[in-house]
Parts: sequence; C-alpha cells; structure tokens
Amino acid sequence: MAVYKRRYNSYTGSLTAPWSRFFVLTRYAFADLFKSRFFVILLILSLVPTLFFAGYIFIANNKTAQLLMQLRSAGLFTVETQYFMVIMIVQTQLAFLLNCWVGPVLIAGDLTNGALPLFLSRPFSRAEYALGKLAVLGLLLSAVTWVPCLLLFSLQAGLAKSGWIWPHLWMIIPIVLCSAIWILMLSLLSLSVSAWIKLRIVATGVIFISFFVPAGLGEMFNAIMGTYWGRLLNFSDMFRLILAKGFRERTVPLGSSGLNEIPVPAAWGVLIFVCLLSLVILNARLRARETVRG
Amino acid sequence: MMNPTIELNGLEVQLGSRTILHGLTGVLKSRAIGLLGPNGAGKSTLINTLLGFHSPSKGSARVLGLDSHANGKELRSLVGYMPENDAFISKMSGVRFVRYMAEISGLPPAQAMERAHEAFVYVGLGEARYRPVGTYSLGMKQLAKFAQAIAHGPKVLILDEPTNGMDPPARKRLIELIREIREASDICLLLSSHLLRDVEETCDEVLILRNGQIASICNLVEERRANRKFLELETIGAEATFTSTLEGLGCECAVFTNGRIKVVMPDSVEIREVFKVAADKGVQIRRMNHRRDSLEDIFLSAMEQTGAADGRI
Repeated sequence: MAVYKRRYNSYTGSLTAPWSRFFVLTRYAFADLFKSRFFVILLILSLVPTLFFAGYIFIANNKTAQLLMQLRSAGLFTVETQYFMVIMIVQTQLAFLLNCWVGPVLIAGDLTNGALPLFLSRPFSRAEYALGKLAVLGLLLSAVTWVPCLLLFSLQAGLAKSGWIWPHLWMIIPIVLCSAIWILMLSLLSLSVSAWIKLRIVATGVIFISFFVPAGLGEMFNAIMGTYWGRLLNFSDMFRLILAKGFRERTVPLGSSGLNEIPVPAAWGVLIFVCLLSLVILNARLRARETVRG
Repeated sequence: MMNPTIELNGLEVQLGSRTILHGLTGVLKSRAIGLLGPNGAGKSTLINTLLGFHSPSKGSARVLGLDSHANGKELRSLVGYMPENDAFISKMSGVRFVRYMAEISGLPPAQAMERAHEAFVYVGLGEARYRPVGTYSLGMKQLAKFAQAIAHGPKVLILDEPTNGMDPPARKRLIELIREIREASDICLLLSSHLLRDVEETCDEVLILRNGQIASICNLVEERRANRKFLELETIGAEATFTSTLEGLGCECAVFTNGRIKVVMPDSVEIREVFKVAADKGVQIRRMNHRRDSLEDIFLSAMEQTGAADGRI
C-alpha cells in the first residue's frame, strides 16, 4: 500500500505486545488533554498548594527562617500526622475538581459517533478499553494526590533529620491506600457518567450532583430521624473518616459532626459500593452492538 | 486442507427474548462472500455474531476455522471491520484516527502512522487527511471507515453496507478498491449490502438471509458459468422464419412484443451464427444483451421461496 504505488499490501511487520495495547488509549487521551489550555491551567493550579505545603515544611525545619519571620513559638510549625491529613484532604478535593473536567469526555467522545464497535472489533476487550480510560484518570489523579504527598513526606524526612522518618514511615501506607480508593471511586464514577451522558457540561453537573445531592439528602435524613447514619451518603466525609483512621487519629479533621460515630468498615463499604455500581453501569453501556428495537 | 471462510452450524442468536437468527447452517468457501437480505433479515446480527459481539444461544459460527465465541480475540486479530453506521471520533484528524485504530490493532506507532497515510492516499482522501473526521461528507466518512478497516492489513475484511450514502463515482471507486484488494492479496471478504450490484461486482458467493433464516447460498461463479449463453435481442424485421431457423440450430426462443426475442443457446452454437442467420433473413439486430441469470433474479427467486430445504436454489 505504498503511497507512490497506490496499491494494497497486507501488513507483515512486527506487532506490539497485546497486554500493552490498552495504553494506546491512555496515550491518545493525554495527548488530547494537553491540547486544552484550560486543562493545563487546572493541573498547574492543582499543584500550587503543594508548593505552599513545601514552604511550610521548609520553615518548620529552618530555625533561621523562623527567626527572620520573628516567630516566637517553636510549636507553631509542626509537621505530624494532622499536617499530612490536611495535605491529603486538600489534594483529594482538587483531584475531584480535575476529575470533573477530565472524566466526562473520556468515553463520551467515542460513544457520540459510535466509535466503540471499531475498538471492540479488534483484539481488544471491553475490560481493556475501560482499563485504558481508567489509567488516564489514575495517572492524572495520582499526580495531584499521593505523589506530591509522598514528595512532601520525603522533603520533611530530609529536612527534619535526626531519625524523623523511622517513627513516621507507616504514614506511607495510609497516604497511598486512601488515595487509591478515592482515585478509584472518582475515576469509575466519572467514567460511568461519561458512558451514560454525552454532553460534557451535563456530565460534569451529574458528577457534582452525585456528590452533593446524596450528602444533602443524608443530612435531611439525619435531621428527621435524629440519627447520624445519613452521613453514609456523604462520600467526602466517608473518605475523611477512612483517612483519619488510617492516620490513627481519633477525630476527623474538617469533617461533619457525628462522623466519628460511623464505623470505618461502613465507610469502606460505601465507597466500594459506589465503585461496584459504576462498574455495573460501565458494563451495561460499553457494548459494541447496536440497539435492537422490538 | 484449507478451512472454509465461514461455517455456520445451527447458529441461533437471541437478543433479549427475540430470536434473530434461527439455526443457520451452511458452509461458504469462496474468498469473497456477499450477504444479502431485506431489512431485518439478520445480516448485521450475523456480522456482529461473527465479530463476537453477540454470543450464540445455540450452535456456532466459525471464520477461517476460528470459533467466533471461543476464539473471539484471535479471530478479531485477523479482521478489518467497516460498520454500517457512523463510527469515528469527530474531533480527530482523519489520519490520526486511522493511526489510532491501527495502533489498537497492534501496529507500533511509527508503522501505524505510515500505514494510516498510505491507507488515506489509497482510498483517495489524501488531501483531506489532516481535517477532523467530523467535517467530512458522508461519502468521505465511508472512505475513512474503509481506510481504518484496511490500515492494519487484515486477513478478513468485513464491510457492512460500504457504499451507503456515496454518489455514483465514489461508489464505483470504492467497488474498484474492494475488487483490487481482493485480487491483490489473499484477503477474505464479507460484504453486506442492499445493493445487489455491489455484491455482484465484488463477490463470488452469496448468502441470502430472510427472516433470520438462510433463503439461499449461491455460488455466483457457477451461476455465471451455467448461464453464459443467454441472449436478449431487440430486432427489426424479424419474422417466424428467423426464430424457426435459430430453433433449427438447437436454440430455445421466446418472442415478445416490439421485436424483442430471448434466446437460450446450447454450448455448440456461437453468437456469430445468430448474426449470420439474421443477415440471411434480412433481420436488423438493433441491440444484443449477452446476459447471465442476474443476481437480482437469484435474489427474487430466493425471496419468493418459503425457505430452501438445503439452502441452495
């Protein structure tokens, strides 16, 4: 099929490893995302707080800087579990915003003009397709959650010296694990919305609604029934509860009142349930065949 | 021994509670197979089943010896598919779209890019390859779909209504490309179309579906060979002596109004003998059509039958 010959020739060259092909989707999605100036600005803004957190760590470990700033109380700047929890909460909320912008277009773009049969008529499964799209959000949200958090942890370990790292090493596990469940839930939720709703603005709205409306309904339920179980519908609070327990804290920072009464397994159950529900929706929507009437 | 191109063994497909394909059984051995049938006959369902999109509720379907369900992934690695409906990513440029699809089929990025450019030039969209696919006309979108189906060099090319929405020159060009690909390589072709002419011009064997059942499996090559002496004449001045002379040579004649005569000739009689008889009898032959039993006749005959017992007419 050489251009100058204008004749068809079959392809006889090498092929890529089948397991790696899902990453083609990820690569193309990233290439498209980085063409958007708004996305690049949003990504940079998501990383700006990390600079402030890094500055805080620097000041906390630098006596000269503290003297220059005329800070008299030495305990004002402490970098302990509470501090890393605040970093996690801030960064995961930014990840939520980033997810609301990126997630809705990932699958909708393929479904709008019926491109899905083209993907699935190749040696490429629905699971690989979903994995390729999931990897986009997984990598992106990792870049604004646990990756900067671990970098800040490393910075603190480097600046604090005197063996700070060893009694705090366990914190790596909640940082990674809590980020993982949050990223997974956000990614699956936005992919399922993207598979269902083709208009970006509507899909973004639906993601917001799926977070805030159940939380509001839960509060109504609590007020009417005089209970605290309605908090289960507040996914952000459930994440904070898991985070607090992961960081061995008794109280949940920035959480609603009565949140500590909810058992942690119930919070895990809620987030896992959202993931499973999203998977069911994805399974129903990611079909190559056309709609059959009658 | 070479595997048949398509083998159907009591294939039944249900979608919801509705049975779409009813126990299809047949073997298609030709390299270019046409799929015909009226709307709702089950053509697209059969294609979707061969691609592994639908699971058979009973029986099986094999393409080049590979079971569509059990060896779905292996089978799809051999296939290039051009769907009937719109199937593209509107914001992508044509060449990037085809490259993307080729990479998913397993081509390394550099080769995929090269093949995408070649495929675009080959189908005649070289000038438009950097434009977003969403801005293409209907005919151009068809060609872009065709380009993505051939870019990775498949062994089996499945084309579902490939000439839909194309103007006559574009249709002719696409049919020429399909024939060229068929002749230039060992590719197997499955073409579904409402246009009998498309199938007649590109295929050697035809599977005709009706209400989810096989109405006919017809080998066009054999049909063409069997009917090669069929003449339609338009004459002026033909009298009974002209037809009786032809009948004397062993021909069968049927005389219609306005001097139209149909002649079925035995193998021993050549066409020039018809001209000779016409010259002797002072008959002007104003038009001669040396035609076969057309696919249209075969199709209509299959549609009239309530179901061929052995799938052949």
